Amino acid sequence: MNTALLLAPVVVPAAAGVLYLFLGWRRTTRHLGTVSAAGILAFGIALAVRAVHDGTAVAASGWLRGDPLAGFLLIVIGAVAFVACAASPAYLAGERAAEHGDAASERRFAVLVQAFLAAMCLAVVGANLGLVWVAIEATTTVTAFLVGHRRSRAAVEAAWKYVVICSVGIALALLGIVVLYAAARHAGLSETSALSFQELAGHAHALDQQATRMAVALIVLGFGAKAGLAPLHSWLPDAHSQAPAPVSALMSGVLLSVSFSVILRTKQIADVALGTGFVKTLMLIAALATLAVAALLLIGQRDYKRMLAYSSMEHMGLMTLGAAAGTPLALSAVLLHIAGHGLGKAAAFCAAGRILQETGTSRIDAVRGLAARSPVPAGTFATAVLVLLGFPPFALFASELGIARAGFAAGLGWPIAAGFTLVLLAFAAIAAHTGRMLLGADPLQSAPAGSAGAALRAQTPLIAALVAVAFIGVAGWPLAHLLNAAAPLAGR
Amino acid sequence: MNGSADTQILDFACGLFLLAAVGALWRRELSAVIGLLAVQGAALAVIAAALGADEHHPELYAVAAGVGLLRAGVLPGLARRALAASGEDRESQPLVNVASSLLAAAALVLLAYAVAQPLARLDASPGARALPVGLASVLIGLFMLVARRKALSQVAGFLLLDNGITAVAFLAAAGVPLLVEIGVSFDLLLVVLVLRVLTVRMQSAFGATDLDDLRELHD
Amino acid sequence: MSGGAFGTEVTAAGVASSVLQVALTVAGAPLLVGLMRQIRARMEGRAGAGVGQPWRDLRKLMRKKPLAPDGTGPLFRTAPLVQVATALMVAAAIPFVSVRTGLGGAADLIAVVALLTLGTAALALAGLDTGTAFGGMGASREMTITALAEPTVLMATFALSTRVGSTNLPAIVDASLKDAGRVISPVSVLAAFALAAVVLAEAGRLPVDNPSTHLELTMVHEAMVLEYSGPDLALVELAASMRLAVLLGLWSALFLPWGTATSTGVPAVAGATVLFTLKVGVLGAVLAAGEVFMAKLRLFRVPELLAGSFLLAVLAVAASFFL
Repeated sequence: MNTALLLAPVVVPAAAGVLYLFLGWRRTTRHLGTVSAAGILAFGIALAVRAVHDGTAVAASGWLRGDPLAGFLLIVIGAVAFVACAASPAYLAGERAAEHGDAASERRFAVLVQAFLAAMCLAVVGANLGLVWVAIEATTTVTAFLVGHRRSRAAVEAAWKYVVICSVGIALALLGIVVLYAAARHAGLSETSALSFQELAGHAHALDQQATRMAVALIVLGFGAKAGLAPLHSWLPDAHSQAPAPVSALMSGVLLSVSFSVILRTKQIADVALGTGFVKTLMLIAALATLAVAALLLIGQRDYKRMLAYSSMEHMGLMTLGAAAGTPLALSAVLLHIAGHGLGKAAAFCAAGRILQETGTSRIDAVRGLAARSPVPAGTFATAVLVLLGFPPFALFASELGIARAGFAAGLGWPIAAGFTLVLLAFAAIAAHTGRMLLGADPLQSAPAGSAGAALRAQTPLIAALVAVAFIGVAGWPLAHLLNAAAPLAGR
Repeated sequence: MNGSADTQILDFACGLFLLAAVGALWRRELSAVIGLLAVQGAALAVIAAALGADEHHPELYAVAAGVGLLRAGVLPGLARRALAASGEDRESQPLVNVASSLLAAAALVLLAYAVAQPLARLDASPGARALPVGLASVLIGLFMLVARRKALSQVAGFLLLDNGITAVAFLAAAGVPLLVEIGVSFDLLLVVLVLRVLTVRMQSAFGATDLDDLRELHD
Repeated sequence: MSGGAFGTEVTAAGVASSVLQVALTVAGAPLLVGLMRQIRARMEGRAGAGVGQPWRDLRKLMRKKPLAPDGTGPLFRTAPLVQVATALMVAAAIPFVSVRTGLGGAADLIAVVALLTLGTAALALAGLDTGTAFGGMGASREMTITALAEPTVLMATFALSTRVGSTNLPAIVDASLKDAGRVISPVSVLAAFALAAVVLAEAGRLPVDNPSTHLELTMVHEAMVLEYSGPDLALVELAASMRLAVLLGLWSALFLPWGTATSTGVPAVAGATVLFTLKVGVLGAVLAAGEVFMAKLRLFRVPELLAGSFLLAVLAVAASFFL
């Protein structure tokens, strides 16, 4: 029962991927991905309910583990994947219309997206640091060809940088894991339990301090690279701006958060082994550096997809800041932020992909008067940006408020003040850029492609995502209970 | 030094491992670099086998065979085929010239020695004492990734890095659990395959595999 | 094992073996050069001048009238003597045939290196003293190479001496004779490669310098000694060949010590003498054969070779701590 529940979120997308491999991308199969995403969402909810009510599910002799945090992350993956997969048919049709794709590339796209989902789900339900590492590294190799999907010079360049920087970053994390494993074996843990999150947290006080310190620093640095945290962040704007819109949505919306969750789980071990100061300091440095890079590069940004990518970095920095505070309130806020950012960013990237297909350019100054020309994508894009800027009633308003309050309460006044100053800077830059895109007269004066009704239909998944974010932000239900259960797992 | 024949074999394999890492930084001919990577992979397999004999851990023999097959055979083979496809055989103008790279490598080895101290203290076995060898390979690999301009040199740097990590795993803890080891090896194989395909695409998009050409994307 | 056993005790037998070493070096060095030239000639399909040719050249030069260029000072005349003297000292100090040399505590690896460098420096000064373009150029190149090689030598020395606890040459050789595992350890192998590069550089062989070229763009050692003639030239040539023999001997003593006598008995010393001659001869032959297939490095690539050998020496030191 447990095994089935824990394996299902991995098996469902894997099976969908295999089906795509044999059937290809066609009218009848194009919503298969959406179904598989809905499956992940459903199993995520089931797992979360079970974990909250009956306690953590463990399976496969301790290699898989379904705690509330895993359930929550599965729900986020499922929800974001649902939006991205539901938006994929319209996106691929648009690419086909612009003669950018053929049947083979569409098949590859569909297969790789499902493999990507399976790897992420495995990373979330994995209970063993080594297994989680393997799954996260697998996401890198699987998404490499998705980033390079278009095969243009820019896409090849982005894919190369993405694979090299992420693989190196994640290799450093592997070094950290190996060191931690050695320390755990030395502390008397058995071969299979020496990498299990739970066993490590239980025996953390017995770990050698210096070795653990080195291991934790490497793990934070390495998984930080995949989570878009400075200093190994430079792949992120390239990859997220070159990948197809649904893939950008997945990478930005959930992959970053999944890697981040590994840092959260490691923090739990390190806080016992080393005291809370060490990881807190590391995270504060990484958070402020990431926020500074993102804010400064957002100011002069000329490309709206890159703008969204840097916005992801900004949000990851904010989450790291919250995690550094480490109180239950802060961690609940961080998890809420993960959910809100995932859905909001997915909508923003998918809308941006639509705008790119309509205007043929990703330059901000080449897109003017979008609100007049194609109101539907412009509307979703604008709303998604409002979500990302943290306006009420959307969830990010509540989570940012929570992070700020928890940070001040935890005695991190100065870093929080500095961080939010940078967030404000990013806010101003994004608002100004988006305003320039949407408002003003249409320089092309051309009629929008297709009817407003068709455009609305194509944007339905995005609108649904935005409504969901608003709903979570206002009501808190049904996540509040789950967040309260998951937050302690991510912190002390 | 003192100790049994296993220890001597281990010491020698570690020495060869380190020498191959340094040699890969020294040579400009990419085919020679790939050859040295194969030597390093073989040394890694010997390290695993020697540790297996030393700690009476027969499972390690199988791991050693697998590691040897992958890192001395398959991965260098893939790199060699990518080299043949790219038609570029020399790292003609590295960002840091070879003499300075070698001096940097000397500094990195000493750094590795300093960094490894907390780990080496955990255990008094000959393996733990040789830990700096793995860390040095990691650092040299990182240095190669930063200082070289050809796509294949970066692949080589990445493999040095990964060989180093595996060596650390063997020397510090006689290897990670088998399932993880298999997963890691599989991922590594995938990364090298992906990089090989990307090299071919880069060749057709840019007409070369010079990473200096990668400057379309910037802010 | 401490170096104390080889401290200051200087025995008659030790002095005798040192004298034997010096005699062997002086007599054998030109023959070694002749052998190497002969091997090279044969491999290139030439008949060659025979192994004894360097001796015949020396005899011819010795008979000529000494001649010094205008404007050169006493330095020019004394430099060859200094070089020969340092080579003789070194030949007496290194335990070629027996670890009981006549110099006792003075037979120090650092002292040996310093003596060899003194000879190099003297010759470089003489090259500058002539005031010609070639002399100055050769001297500057030679000193560059020496300066680059010196850190390697010190590092390698350090690596070899840490495990013995002494830089005393006989002590190092004796320790490796007693424990064969010491010679085939990573430290020793790394140091061997590092010192091999230095030996090539210091002896002025390919790929650092070509001893048989007079091409102004490439020559190093030959450029310095271009103004010498007569007996002075004979001394320079003799010193150069002794230097090569001594360096090869030093390398073989450190890394192929087997057969070196640990006692002062006549049969042991006689056997060691034969074996030593054989070892140096084989090393020379290998070097000569290798040079046939090797091109000289361009001068600006030489630092690369020497940086590499320095790195190997550093690795040897590092390895002496962790392997």
